[in-house]
Amino acid sequence: MSPESTALPMLHVSTPAGERYETVIDLERVRAAHHPLYRERQTVSADGNVAAALATLQMWRCILYAGFPITPSTKWLETVAVKVAEDAHGIKRVKLLEAEHAVADYLVGAAAACRDLIFPTATSSVGLDHMTETTRSLGASGLGNVMLIDVYRATANFPLCIEGDPSDTFAHRDDGFIQIACRGKQQIYDTILQAPCLGMHPDVMTPTMPGYYGIKDSHRSARLTVEPDREIHEFQDRWIEPCLLPGLINGDTALGNCVTSRFFQGFKLAQKRRLERSLDVLLMIGADFERTFGRPGLAYFDAVGWREAERVDLAVVSMGPDFGTFEALRPAYESRTGLKVAGLAMRLLTPFPREAVRLKLANASVVLVVNQAHHVGRGHLTLDVADALSSLPSPPRIVSAFAGLGGADVSEDTWEAMLDGAREALDGKRTPPWRLYHEGRAL
Amino acid sequence: MSGYKETALKESCFRPGSTLCPGCMESVAFQNVGRVSDNGKKTIFTIGTSCAEVSTLAFPNVVAWGRGDRAPDDFAKSFSILHNVFESAPTLAEAVRDVADSLESCGALKSPVQVMAASGDGGAFAIGLRALLHTIHRRTRVTIMVLVNEIFANTGFQYSPATMPFAETSTTPTGPDFPGNPQMPLDYIHLAIAAGAGLVAQVSPAHGKLFMKTVERAIECPTTAVLFVPAPCISGWKFEDGETVELALLGAQCGVFPAFTWERGKGGKVLDCPREAKDRPGIEEFMARQRRFQHMVKRDPATGKPAVQPGREQAMESLRGWVQENVERLYRLAEMK
Repeated sequence: MSPESTALPMLHVSTPAGERYETVIDLERVRAAHHPLYRERQTVSADGNVAAALATLQMWRCILYAGFPITPSTKWLETVAVKVAEDAHGIKRVKLLEAEHAVADYLVGAAAACRDLIFPTATSSVGLDHMTETTRSLGASGLGNVMLIDVYRATANFPLCIEGDPSDTFAHRDDGFIQIACRGKQQIYDTILQAPCLGMHPDVMTPTMPGYYGIKDSHRSARLTVEPDREIHEFQDRWIEPCLLPGLINGDTALGNCVTSRFFQGFKLAQKRRLERSLDVLLMIGADFERTFGRPGLAYFDAVGWREAERVDLAVVSMGPDFGTFEALRPAYESRTGLKVAGLAMRLLTPFPREAVRLKLANASVVLVVNQAHHVGRGHLTLDVADALSSLPSPPRIVSAFAGLGGADVSEDTWEAMLDGAREALDGKRTPPWRLYHEGRAL
Repeated sequence: MSGYKETALKESCFRPGSTLCPGCMESVAFQNVGRVSDNGKKTIFTIGTSCAEVSTLAFPNVVAWGRGDRAPDDFAKSFSILHNVFESAPTLAEAVRDVADSLESCGALKSPVQVMAASGDGGAFAIGLRALLHTIHRRTRVTIMVLVNEIFANTGFQYSPATMPFAETSTTPTGPDFPGNPQMPLDYIHLAIAAGAGLVAQVSPAHGKLFMKTVERAIECPTTAVLFVPAPCISGWKFEDGETVELALLGAQCGVFPAFTWERGKGGKVLDCPREAKDRPGIEEFMARQRRFQHMVKRDPATGKPAVQPGREQAMESLRGWVQENVERLYRLAEMK
C-alpha cells in the first residue's frame, strides 16, 4: 500500500474484462438522491421532445445529460436543463459540450466510468452524422448504458431540410445500436423508459437509439400519461442488474483495446450475437411493461388489420406517425376495393426482426413498402423486407414506394395513390418500379 | 510534494510489455508519470489513438498498464484505462471526472479518483484541437498530457501542426525547391493558456526532477493542467539509438522546445534555456543528429562539427529566427499571471 493511502483492502472479483471492486460505488446513494418528478400517474400535455425529456429525468440512473443543440431535438436538451435547474439540491447535471462529436466521446467516457448509470443524449440529422466516428465505437463497446435519442431529420444539407424524415437513423444502421422507431408521444415516453432495460441486459449490452420523427412528433403536443417515478424505478430495477463487468471507476481494467484481424472476428461475432439476443429480450421487456403499466410495451412492429391465418391481398410495411393516416383510411379502402388490406408499422429497425416479419407477411399477395428516407435503390425498409421474405418458397411481390421525404405529410390521397399503385402487382404479371409519391400522385 | 528519490521508487502504472520503439520518449514519460500518480488515489487514464495506444493496448499482447502483477487489493492502486478515437482523450477524461464528481456529491463514491488524458500530436493539435481547447475552456479538473513528437508517428511520420520548420516528414518531403515543412508550428502553449488552463508546462523527462515535480503539481491542479512533453521519436526523427534523452535535453536548451512551467495567478518561467541566442547551444547540433534535417545540416567530416548545407543558408537563418521568436514568446508568457 502506498504511504499516502488510507484505503483498506477491498473485496474485488475477477471478470473477463478485468477486476471489479465491489463496494467502491454505492448506487443506493444515487437512488436516494433522486428527486421524483411525478409521485402519481398524471396526464399532461407534451410534445415528443418533452415526453422524451421527462422519461430520462424520471430515471434515478440518469444523473448526467450531455448535449449539443440541433433542430429538431433541441427542446429535449432545453427541457432537461430547465427541470434540472428547477430541482433544488438535486444531483442531476446537464453537460453542454462544444459539438456532437464531443457529446459522443463524452458518452463513451461517462458510460465506461460507471456502467450502472444511464447516459442519454438527443440529436438529429447531421448532428448524428458528426458523432459517427464515435457512435461506431459505441455500438461495439458493450456500453449498453448509452441511450442516443435520434429525433429524425433529413440528413442532406444540399438542400438543407430541418423537418423529420428518418434518413439519419437509416444512415446509421451499421453503427451497432439497437434502433427503435416510435410514433406518438406516449410511445416515445414508454420506449425511452424501456430502452435502457434492453441495452443494459447482460446478454445484450448494446447501446440503444430510440427515435421519433422531427416536427411531426417532436414539436406537436398531445396528451401523455406519465407514470410515478417510483413505479418506473421498480420496473427498471427488475431488468437492470449491477453490471458484472468493471467500469473505469470500480475496476482495474482496460477498455477500447486494438486487435489484429485474427481477433477482430471474435469481437464482431460477439457483437452480432448480442444484437440478435436483443430480439428475445425486447419482447420480454415489452410484455412486462404492458403488465406493469397497462400500455403496449416494446414490440417489433404495430400490426393493423391482420386476421389470424387469413390471406391478405395487400400488406403495407412502413413506420412513423403517417402510418396513422393509413390506419384511418384502411377500412374504407377495403370496402371500396374489396381487398383485404393490413399493415405493419415497424418499431424495431435494428436488428431487423426478419423472422417475425416473414411470418406476418407470408400470407400476403403483395407487400407495399413505404420508405420515408432517401435511398439509392428501392429503399432501406424494402431491402430488409426483401431479405426477410427471401426464404419463402413463393414470396409475395414487393412494391416499393417513397413518401414523406424531408418530413412531408403523407396525406390520404398519397396513401391511396400508393395503394392503387401496388394493386398493379396483384394480377401477378408485373411489379411496378419504385415510385416517389407526394400530394396524391407519383412524381 | 514527494522527494525525487521517493517518487522514483514508487510503483508505476506503466508496465513492461509495450511494443513502443526501444528508446521511445513516450515510454519514459509514462514510466515517470505512472510513478508520480502512485499517490494514494485511484488513477484513470484516457487515451486517444496514437503510438501510445496501439503499442500498449493491443490485444492479445500484454496490456502494458496497471500496478503490480495482479489486481491490487488496495483500491487506491487500481488502475483503469480507456481508449477511443484520436481526438477523444480530453473529453473522455472530462466525462470520467464528471461522473466521479457526481458520485462523490451524493456520497456514492468515497475513494478519490484522479484522471489523466494522453494524446499525441494528431489527437491534440490537429483533429483534436477542438477537444483539447474546450476541455481546458471548461476548467475540467484533469491532467492532459500531450506527447509532442512533431509528427503523426503512428500513421507513418507525417507532418503535424507541431512539426518544426524545414523538417522532412513523409508528407513534407524535401526537394530542390522544397526544404521540408514550410509551416510555422502551432503555438500550443499560448493556446492552452488562452483557453483557461490552470497549469501549462512543456517539459520532458530529460529534465528528470523538473518533470516529476511538474507532473505532481499538474495532478494537484484544481482546474485543467496541460503538460506538453517533447518526445523525440527515434523512428520519425531518425536519430541513433540511445540519444533520446540527450536530444530532448538539447532541443530544450537550444530553444526548439524550452522547458517551461506556468501556473495561473503565479506566472511561470523558462528553465535551462537563456533568452539570448548567444548563451544557448546552436540549433545546428540538435539538427545534425537527426536525419529529418540532413538536407539542412551536415557534419563536416574533418571537424565533426555541423555545417549548413549549401543553398540552405537562407532557410537556416529563417529557422534561427523562429527559434528566437519561440524563446522570446515563452519568456513573455512566463511574465503573464
